[in-house]
Amino acid sequence: MNRWLTRRWPAPHWPSVRGRGRADAGALLLTAAVIAAVTLLAGAVPALLRAGADNAVQDTVRRAGQGSNVLVHANWEHDNGPTGGRVRMTRLAEDIDDFRARATYLLGPDLDTALRPPVAVVNGPILRITGGDVPRTFQFTYLAGDLGGPDVTWISGSAPGPAVPEQFIEIPSHGPPWPLQVGLSETDATALDLGPGDRIPVQDGHGQDKDVRISGIYRPADSADPAWQLAPALLRPVPGADGVGTTRFAGLLSRESLPDARLAIDEDQLRRTIHFAPEPDALTWDATETIASQVVKLKAASGASADRSQSLKWESQLDTVLRDARTQISAAFAQAAVLLAGVLTVTVLVLLLAADLLVRRRAPALRAARQRGAALPDLGTELIIESSVVSLSAAAVGLALARVAAPGVCWTWSVPVVLAGAVAGPAFGILAAARASRDRRQPANRAARRWILATGQLRRAVVESAVLITAVAAFVTLHQRGLLPVASDGDAGELTGDLVLPLGAVALGVLAAAIVLLRLLPVGVGFTLRQALRSRRPLAVFGAARAATTAGRALPLLVLVSATALASFALVVGATVTRGLADGAWSTVGADARLDIGADADAATPALAERIVAAPGVGQVVVAQVTDSARVFTESTLLTPRLVIVDAAAFQRLLATTPLPDAPALARLTAPGPGPGGVPALVRSSNGDLRTGTRLQLSRDDAPAIHLAAVGTAPSVGGADDVVIVDATALADAGLPAVPNTVWVTGPGAARAVSNSGVAADVVLRADVLRAQRVAPLTAGILRLAWTAAAALLALGLLGLTLSAAAGASERWQTLTRLRTLGLRPRDARWVAAGELLPPVVVAAVCGPLLGALLARLTLGPIELRLLTGQAADPAAVLPWWLFGLVSVALLAAAAVVVPVESALRRRDRLSEVLRAGDQ
Amino acid sequence: MSSEPLLRVRGVHRSFRTGPTVVPALRGVSFDVAAGTMVALVGRSGSGKTTLLNTVGGLDRPDAGSVHVDGTEVTALDEDGLSRLRREKVSYVFQSFGLIPVLSAAENVAAPLRLARVAPAERERRVELLLELVGLADHARQRPAELSGGQQQRVAIARALAASPRLLIADEPTGQLDAETGLSVMALLRGVVESEGVTVLVSTHDPVMMALADRVIRIHDGLLDEAAAGQPDEPAPDAG
Repeated sequence: MNRWLTRRWPAPHWPSVRGRGRADAGALLLTAAVIAAVTLLAGAVPALLRAGADNAVQDTVRRAGQGSNVLVHANWEHDNGPTGGRVRMTRLAEDIDDFRARATYLLGPDLDTALRPPVAVVNGPILRITGGDVPRTFQFTYLAGDLGGPDVTWISGSAPGPAVPEQFIEIPSHGPPWPLQVGLSETDATALDLGPGDRIPVQDGHGQDKDVRISGIYRPADSADPAWQLAPALLRPVPGADGVGTTRFAGLLSRESLPDARLAIDEDQLRRTIHFAPEPDALTWDATETIASQVVKLKAASGASADRSQSLKWESQLDTVLRDARTQISAAFAQAAVLLAGVLTVTVLVLLLAADLLVRRRAPALRAARQRGAALPDLGTELIIESSVVSLSAAAVGLALARVAAPGVCWTWSVPVVLAGAVAGPAFGILAAARASRDRRQPANRAARRWILATGQLRRAVVESAVLITAVAAFVTLHQRGLLPVASDGDAGELTGDLVLPLGAVALGVLAAAIVLLRLLPVGVGFTLRQALRSRRPLAVFGAARAATTAGRALPLLVLVSATALASFALVVGATVTRGLADGAWSTVGADARLDIGADADAATPALAERIVAAPGVGQVVVAQVTDSARVFTESTLLTPRLVIVDAAAFQRLLATTPLPDAPALARLTAPGPGPGGVPALVRSSNGDLRTGTRLQLSRDDAPAIHLAAVGTAPSVGGADDVVIVDATALADAGLPAVPNTVWVTGPGAARAVSNSGVAADVVLRADVLRAQRVAPLTAGILRLAWTAAAALLALGLLGLTLSAAAGASERWQTLTRLRTLGLRPRDARWVAAGELLPPVVVAAVCGPLLGALLARLTLGPIELRLLTGQAADPAAVLPWWLFGLVSVALLAAAAVVVPVESALRRRDRLSEVLRAGDQ
Repeated sequence: MSSEPLLRVRGVHRSFRTGPTVVPALRGVSFDVAAGTMVALVGRSGSGKTTLLNTVGGLDRPDAGSVHVDGTEVTALDEDGLSRLRREKVSYVFQSFGLIPVLSAAENVAAPLRLARVAPAERERRVELLLELVGLADHARQRPAELSGGQQQRVAIARALAASPRLLIADEPTGQLDAETGLSVMALLRGVVESEGVTVLVSTHDPVMMALADRVIRIHDGLLDEAAAGQPDEPAPDAG
């Protein structure tokens, strides 16, 4: 008869299913709890990171400020008149409106929704204000949004008007300066001591006077209006904007005075730009790729800068900012995936251990069922039904909880856990049942016994080699390719399948190392047993003998070593990120507190410093002039580093009292002896343009440049890549006295001292910066995940220890009971039990943290942790030894608890019953 | 022969609770066993053989009655006393041999001597002697897995004899052995009685093995089939 006709579907015996479920409810509930807890973690973390990714994109764009604006420029048409002169173009403001509308249209819908309404900015050239002791510059600016310029109140005078009432006028190209009316902010007017009707004494770069008059003094209705950010000098004087020691002032143009602005200067000196600031709240991780590519397309479509036509020239760093954000987010996703892979690996191992325990408990019943004639498919079906119900319902609970805890849920990471929970028990159970009907006798032929032994060893060697080779391949891939997913356009994208190997490198590395330890453990225990046999301590012999008997059990050691190693790895990640953030805060602020002093208060800085140093709890106080984008020339290049003019000795002392790297080279700035041919300077740059030995010139308005000689490497100041540090006294001797605008303060009372300084200054506290970094979406997410993963892994390790103790308990107490029939005392039996349980625990407690630390050292670079901490280089792994100790102590303490608890539980069993069970 | 029996069992009751049901395993069992004899305990499965052996050896406590071994009241001993009794006077051989797999035959035999803190030289001498006695002198360094079932049981017997017990309790020691091997093990036990002067109480189903015993005690539903105190009550059947 056809086999298909005689074949029947597996028929589960439902009373057996129910009976087994009731008998092992505890073990099944434990399995369900593990699956539910890990599913909750694996389901919630990706969704939380995803939500964090949106926040991170918005945060990055906010921090980039104007650097992420989309700018579009266009040249003007010629203003040549019919007689060779220049024509006053009265519709210039309308042209600007048309330009703004055209640029908005060209953005396309994706960019349009991601950007704020545009602001048109028309800037004149930088003019020099003549007279006065300190160099001052002036620029006139026109601002216009869709609803006009930012609102102002004219507190005296009126808005700028046209210079002439005529609609059409042509002036000679090289005639006298054309009159121009501008408005001045209240602060600027006070600083310049000018009022309505006054002429601002300005000259262009050729020394030609310009006729710029003040029509009125205004007060901004809302100084926080984003439009003002595009020309901050319209609100108040801006120090350092046009070079060291300079202060920029600005005059506000109106629609009416804009045509005069063009005639007041050379034809091409008036530049018009439309600024589109991104709307951070409208940006999401999903949209970043589209927006970045739109920006790239616009930039690629830009016309040549010399093009006189109406073609637009697009400029923006938004694509770069978004790409950086995507890279950082992808790195965070990858780092989270590495941690999750570790948790899932240990969870799968724990579930295998739980299944092993369950099957050991059920083995007599399964053997009996098999011997009564139950078919393996029927038994398998029964076990599959039970395990599937447990796993799937637990996973459903976990995912439901994840949905409650997170804005979404991701089920993909839960698959390995659910599969392990559903398959491991039935697989082990079927094997146990199959053994019941298999001839288990050892062959009498020694060669046959050797063949069986060799076959088993070969099988094991193949599996172990496969794990080792995969781990090596994963590490090679991780180091060669990194963890960041790369999209076709080079952008960092979503995590993809080809990343499975590098993402699993840490977990595979731990497994491979655990397998090596698994091979070494029997050797070590065997050695201990041989030593014990030479001793006179019977407990040592029996303990070592039990340890040697069970040393080959793979799962307990794999679980314990993997859990402790991966928990230690997670701790290293957490500690390294935490240290990175702390270092970053020190680097950003430069001290415990920093005062950034405005131009109107800089003269009072030395006195202020004296007041601060007298405050309680203040350690070091250092004043400096910090100028960003200072113009420094090498032989052939203009560089714009951060220039720091400071008392070098005081700065060195300050660095010595902080965790910031010491800079012994600072001593060279004040070293006596023949000069190096210029004011000594320390330099640092990201691309090597500034290096020791370089000759530099510090340009100044109205004075010859000051020669600098780079004599060493500068420390990083405020996280800047390019830095030049000069001693204040040396520079003053060379003719440029410092105007301090920065005060660094250290000490426990620094924050209070600077907060109570009573001057108009921005107070930057290291504690605030650190707090802000810690709550940054990605950083906070990864930190929380690292600590949670470490705790979860430790918990899984402790659970694994308990399960492995429970799985071996029956056999262990059989042996101990037999030893008791030889005269072993009950209290001594406990020590023998401890001797059996301790070796894998000790190996895990010692080797686990070391392995975690080693893997962290090997992988922290490739997993791009620096992208999260914002450090310039790959952070050195921070090894939290006391936390490692805690992991080890927790494991040892758990073992110390398990043995007496097990002993107390087993004491209730009569020896006769234990022996009878063993004989079955 | 001394008039004082080595083993004296009086009125031993033992019952087990299975859920709400109380199952009596021993119902007032009393008998004596003289020193240097081999007594076979015979009965069907569930008749109470193992319970009686466990009670005699102090592995289980009776609900009522008393057991004396070599003048020591086993039923009155605490755990430490029982441990001392097992170290010095009573030893066991089980159906499953219960050897420590990672130790060699000699090391397994030496286990009780280690517990008794016998000096190494004396321990080695005794182990050698015992392995010679059970015919495994050439297998001293082999581990249990390298020995046949019969050889493993011989090692278990040697281990049981290591501390020179007065009473050896064997619970179906041939249960996992084929007939031929089982017979050789029983012959060994018989020989041990002769050579070591030890008293052996062995439970078995095998009539051939009963033939080797000096005396057979039958147990049925927790009661002895013959008067407990009688000695010899039932001569062993003729093996031939």
